[in-house]
Amino acid sequence: MTDKKKKFSKDIIKLESVEQTVDRIVNKLKKDVFVHLQRKGGIVGISGGIDSSVSFALAVKAFGKENVLGIMLPEKDSSSDSEVLAKKLADKFKVKTVVENISGALEGFGCYRRRDEAMKRVFPEYNPETYKSKIEIRQNILKQNMPAIFSLTIIDENGTSKSKMLPMKEYLQIVAASNFKQRSRMSMLYYHAEAMHYAVIGTPNKHEVEQGFFVKYGDGGADVMPIGDLYKTQVYELASFLGVPQEIIDRTPTTDTYTAEQTQEEFFYQLPFEMMDLLWYAWENDYEPAEVAPALGITEKEVENVFKTFLRKKKTTEYLRMSPIRNY
Amino acid sequence: MTTTTKVSISEKVKEYVKNAASIPPDMELKNDTLIFDEGLFDSMGFMALISFIDEEFGVQPGDDELVVENFESIDAIVNYLSEKLSA
Repeated sequence: MTDKKKKFSKDIIKLESVEQTVDRIVNKLKKDVFVHLQRKGGIVGISGGIDSSVSFALAVKAFGKENVLGIMLPEKDSSSDSEVLAKKLADKFKVKTVVENISGALEGFGCYRRRDEAMKRVFPEYNPETYKSKIEIRQNILKQNMPAIFSLTIIDENGTSKSKMLPMKEYLQIVAASNFKQRSRMSMLYYHAEAMHYAVIGTPNKHEVEQGFFVKYGDGGADVMPIGDLYKTQVYELASFLGVPQEIIDRTPTTDTYTAEQTQEEFFYQLPFEMMDLLWYAWENDYEPAEVAPALGITEKEVENVFKTFLRKKKTTEYLRMSPIRNY
Repeated sequence: MTTTTKVSISEKVKEYVKNAASIPPDMELKNDTLIFDEGLFDSMGFMALISFIDEEFGVQPGDDELVVENFESIDAIVNYLSEKLSA
């Protein structure tokens, strides 16, 4: 620990100046897209979520509203709120939008069929017409230093739910099939980007990039990622400053990938984002658990468990961040 | 559970962990090596271990049994399996 290191507190990742942060990102976005990439504007896939909304608002500020196109990419499992909120966002910034429903492409890829086959092997009674489904991690990251085990939960029309631990084969098939969604979206974004000579503005935040919560060549496929170095808490700070509609700010972050409501916390992070931000900051800046624990109201052992999980996640998701190896 | 059976569970589990885990060349896998702390298993590795336990011993851990004490080392896994199989 150096002498200059700030004392750990709950406010440690709060931006000193939101305005300056926005200016810095906007200036860099302009330079990257107009000068380095030689593109005339930006394409943003907007989902009504906080990350894509902030990325969109930054792109509008950087390129001007006439040089940004918002693309909504719903499919049959998407929440109807997503499109409504995305439209509200685009209207507020007076930006043109295009709706591209990707359900047909996903049918063609066999996305739903392949996913449902695997789900039926776990729950033979599962019927995608009458059941909703989601994947969850049911372990407590604070209490257990163990890699995540995923469970499949199905919910019938009466709201009765059943969960079962997923065997590896079925887990991998469900995820591989579901990833067609992000990869189809990426293809469509690049269609519009190339047709307009624009860049694709990626929307992952710092956690998604560093913890590997993205699909390689799916939502991880983009030309620039303006919020890729921001903690989720900071993304919210920018959202208010940039004028993102309050309904979007108030919405719980979801994956919008499975038919049952599923928060990002349930599927991947296992912690509320405010706490995860602080713990990730502490971990990557080498704060001692003894200093972090009292500030967050948890035990040192719990901090240690989370740090070990972070290390494991960063290590095991390195593959997602790697470019193809070509030095043969 | 006889000692012989426990020894045979131990051999099978050790053989599995040795083959499935990413063990650095300079590391000696002992029965009390903490396999998660040492980073020998990620999520996929752990899920494969659970599948192995099911296929080899017919044991499917419940949610409440998926705790670090039952899986943190070869000894822990063997003790957990021995208890389950003798129940």
